[in-house]
Amino acid sequence: MSVTQADPRPERTEEASTSAAHSVDAVKVYGRGDAAVRALDGVSVSFNRGGFTAIMGPSGSGKSTLLHCMAGLDKLTSGRTFIGDVELGTLADRPLTLLRRQKVGFIFQSYNLVPTLSALDNIVLPLTIAGDKADPAAVDEVVRITGLGPRLKHRPSELSGGQQQRVAAARALVSRPAIIFADEPTGNLDSRASADLLDFLRHAVSDLGQTIAMVTHDPLAAAHADRVVFLADGRVVQELQAPTADSILGVMRHLGD
Amino acid sequence: MLKVSIRSLLSHKLRLLLTTLAILIGVASVSGTFIFIDTINGTFNRIFQAANSGVAVTVRGHELRGETGGIGGSARQAVPRSLRAAVRGVPGVRDAVGVLFRDGATLIGPDGKTIGGNGPPTFGANWIPNSRISPYHIRSGSPPSGPQDVVVDAGTAKGHDLRVGQQVSIAFVAAPKQVFTITGIAGFGSADSLAGATISLFTEDTAERVLDGQNKYDEIDASAQSGVSDITLRDRIAAVLPHYAEAATGQQAAQAAEQSTESTISTFIGTPLLVFAFIFLFVGSFLIVNTFNILVAQRTRELALLRAIGATRRQVLTSVLVEAALTGVVASILGVLLGLVVASGLNALIKAPPGTTLSLQPRSFIVGLLVGVVVTVVAAMFPARRATRVPPVAALREALPETQTLPRRRIWSGALLLVLGCVTLGVGLSGATAATLQLLGVGVLAIFLGVALLAPLVVGPIASVLGWPVRRLRGAPGLLARENARRNPRRTALTSAALMIGLALVTSVAVLTASFRASADAAIEGALRGDFIVFNQTGSDFSPALATALEGDPSLQNITELRTSSVLIGSSSQSIVAIDPEQAANTLSFEMTSGDEASVARQDTAIVDTAEASARNLSVGSTVTISFPEGKDVRVHIGGIYKQNAIAQGYLVSLSTLAPNVSTARDSVVLANAASGVSVAAAERSLKNDLEQFPLVKGMSRSEYRDFVGKQLDDFLNLITGLLFLAVFIAVLGIVNTLALSVLERTREIGLLRALGMTRGQTRSMVRWESVLIALIGAVLGLAVGVGLGLALANALHNLGIDHVAVPGGNLLLYALVAGIFGVLAAIFPAIRASRLDVLQAVAAE
Repeated sequence: MSVTQADPRPERTEEASTSAAHSVDAVKVYGRGDAAVRALDGVSVSFNRGGFTAIMGPSGSGKSTLLHCMAGLDKLTSGRTFIGDVELGTLADRPLTLLRRQKVGFIFQSYNLVPTLSALDNIVLPLTIAGDKADPAAVDEVVRITGLGPRLKHRPSELSGGQQQRVAAARALVSRPAIIFADEPTGNLDSRASADLLDFLRHAVSDLGQTIAMVTHDPLAAAHADRVVFLADGRVVQELQAPTADSILGVMRHLGD
Repeated sequence: MLKVSIRSLLSHKLRLLLTTLAILIGVASVSGTFIFIDTINGTFNRIFQAANSGVAVTVRGHELRGETGGIGGSARQAVPRSLRAAVRGVPGVRDAVGVLFRDGATLIGPDGKTIGGNGPPTFGANWIPNSRISPYHIRSGSPPSGPQDVVVDAGTAKGHDLRVGQQVSIAFVAAPKQVFTITGIAGFGSADSLAGATISLFTEDTAERVLDGQNKYDEIDASAQSGVSDITLRDRIAAVLPHYAEAATGQQAAQAAEQSTESTISTFIGTPLLVFAFIFLFVGSFLIVNTFNILVAQRTRELALLRAIGATRRQVLTSVLVEAALTGVVASILGVLLGLVVASGLNALIKAPPGTTLSLQPRSFIVGLLVGVVVTVVAAMFPARRATRVPPVAALREALPETQTLPRRRIWSGALLLVLGCVTLGVGLSGATAATLQLLGVGVLAIFLGVALLAPLVVGPIASVLGWPVRRLRGAPGLLARENARRNPRRTALTSAALMIGLALVTSVAVLTASFRASADAAIEGALRGDFIVFNQTGSDFSPALATALEGDPSLQNITELRTSSVLIGSSSQSIVAIDPEQAANTLSFEMTSGDEASVARQDTAIVDTAEASARNLSVGSTVTISFPEGKDVRVHIGGIYKQNAIAQGYLVSLSTLAPNVSTARDSVVLANAASGVSVAAAERSLKNDLEQFPLVKGMSRSEYRDFVGKQLDDFLNLITGLLFLAVFIAVLGIVNTLALSVLERTREIGLLRALGMTRGQTRSMVRWESVLIALIGAVLGLAVGVGLGLALANALHNLGIDHVAVPGGNLLLYALVAGIFGVLAAIFPAIRASRLDVLQAVAAE
């Protein structure tokens, strides 16, 4: 049970690597024979600790597939992915599940919350699933930065889309995972709610040292990241450091050709 | 639209299987019952035809008053043997024979155990020397000719390996047991036996002695000379008969016997079995309603799309109903086929004679098919109507969360049904009308429906309470299970209400039997003062010869005969008990509410129980007319009123009041004490020794009797529980179905939980505990309704001697435990399905 013993907090790991998660020559093929589609065609990418990386690319570029494979939700056809120094491909369902539980946080585009649970119960759900006692101070901290105080007892159906996504973000953050994977987290939000959520994520990275990898197609969202990785046809085609909306749009225009 | 229905049906094979199974069990019970009773009736009809085939005219006494039909017709008065000569003298009569045919002649096998008796009955009769009239035909050996000769039926001979020349012991209710030699084996018409009954044939003189003939015949059968029609002969004979006898042609007698038999079988076998079939269908219909409800909810978008592209409401309604009808047809066809198996099983259960073929009449199949399809379609009508209310715009909207609040109309109709049900039940139980059972059935049905409609109101609170420890013990899966059980109260309520029905019925029977046992125990402690109680285990009465034999035993004293007679009081048929007051003073004790116990000793005076007294407004000094079976009416004074108990109920008179009014004396129970100076143990040994001559009769000490009554009640409870188990099984299928559909509906949610780190084990645990909670909610409702129902019944049945009510806590706990275990079992498949969901597909889907 090396996985359970590994400490989820990156700053205490003595591993020399600075990567929270990385992939090596990741290949994912859907279908067989003539119908085969190479969704990932040899992707090597690393998400450094404390970094906020955006993954962009046209539809079908493989950005969601990359995220799913790196988060341990899907298996590669060949190549390797790691969370910390643990290779995911070798893990059976149970250790993989426990790894997700301890080291990975998720924010999805929609259907992000359990409808029967209150906002607070949703936030602490990863801890409840793990059977851990929630550290009240940590929970309070997360709750405070979501600004959801008075609505914590409400069910998701009683919250706005933006509030729901903030609950999802708080849930991803509450166990201080090694990395949070966000899949189009602003996809269903209006611009104001999007901005709130992105500020929240930015704050988690800057103030709490959280690592985040976010798939998005919105240059404004990607501009909140430290770095943007561009995919096309299952390959990494470009990277931008300290991106702005304009520089991202420039790359996208170029990729569109 | 038909294509839409069929495609929808085939795309969910599990759902089809479960809904089919739910209806199939009910249909199989309906068809199986019809086939079974047709088969029994057919067997009896062939017997009556065979028995009367050589009989032109049969002469019998009138039917006994207070008797109500029965297999082969009501019991009748016997006619004097001398009447045979008068019948034979009528012009046109070729021959006339006397027939004695009575129950209570039981062969004792080489192992010392009685042959038959627990299944088909055992009869003794005289051999009829005229082979033209007699239905018996010697297969091997010869007819009986001496006092130790017996002929047995070929069926029994084959079944128990009896051969001509063999010695066999035979027990009687009217005489001590005796050893006979089998001189012949006889067939009955072309059949080996009489519907599987055991029959022993003696010479007329022997039959007279062992069957307690009292110089009488049960009937006189005449054959006609050629050229004389049966009807002509009947009229000629009738003209010479005394007032106490009547004549019928053989065909008339056979038909009357068939009719009485058919109505008896329908009342005592057909109706109870159909009641169970109805329960199965009722529970099954809950499953249908729930399945189609969930289906319509899940297909909201699809239905809205159909509406948006121009389907009318009627087409939407039809598409749902057609799917239901197709399910119903498939289930019903399989059901009637399974009905054949059910009927064969029931046949085997009653030990029908080998070679009995099932009587297959179109009605058995048509009714089964109709019932199955109609129940399915009617049950699907409610969800179908909901489907028509899906607005086309729903196709464009995000799925709306289901409304959590219960429509007011539903609450009102639920409450109304519940109240009406209780009132109907109350009226039925009060005995104010003759339709007690009908009112009871309607009342219980209304209560079930009312509780089912109101159940969504209590599902939340019950789930919270029951779910609390689950959440404590099981963490996140427990929390989620509790919330899932609560999230759609109507779905959970309908699923657990199906389970409630079976459990409520089992519980009410358990409460009833526990109350009966408590009452019997109290009566054995209080009312029964005798050391010993002697009675026939099959319930038949027995000859006073037994009491006479016991009186000769010096270790016993206070031999008290309880002599019963069926009488009419007003228009109701009752049993009265006659006792020797002097002896009874030492063996029976009465708790008098007014008057004097000793007044029984006075001629034409009765004491009566409080229930009967209040029903007929009787008090000490009033009179009541008792109509005795053979036609005498006697005005009887009420000398006292006693509190009924499990040993004595109704009217009690002295033997001397009874004696002038009946020609045949039969005891139902004999009580006795150990003689003074003799230990109870020694007296018991002596009693059992005396009773060896009467193997059909059991003598028991008070503690043995208490155990015996307890075991009878346990057997009854087990039988009912066994039958109702099927209703519970159908309800469990409902849980499987609901869970499977819920899991499907929650694919994304489960995927999310798995992504967040919930293991497969935790996922299974979540589904399992939801299932357990649904089952336990059903158990809580079922136990509550069942205890209420049972207490109401127990209170109403005080005229059967229930004067104590008891709630069997152990049983109730066991039922709840079993419900929980069923919950675990029901979850197995849906839980596996939930844990195997592809996480990625779940979170990435659309």
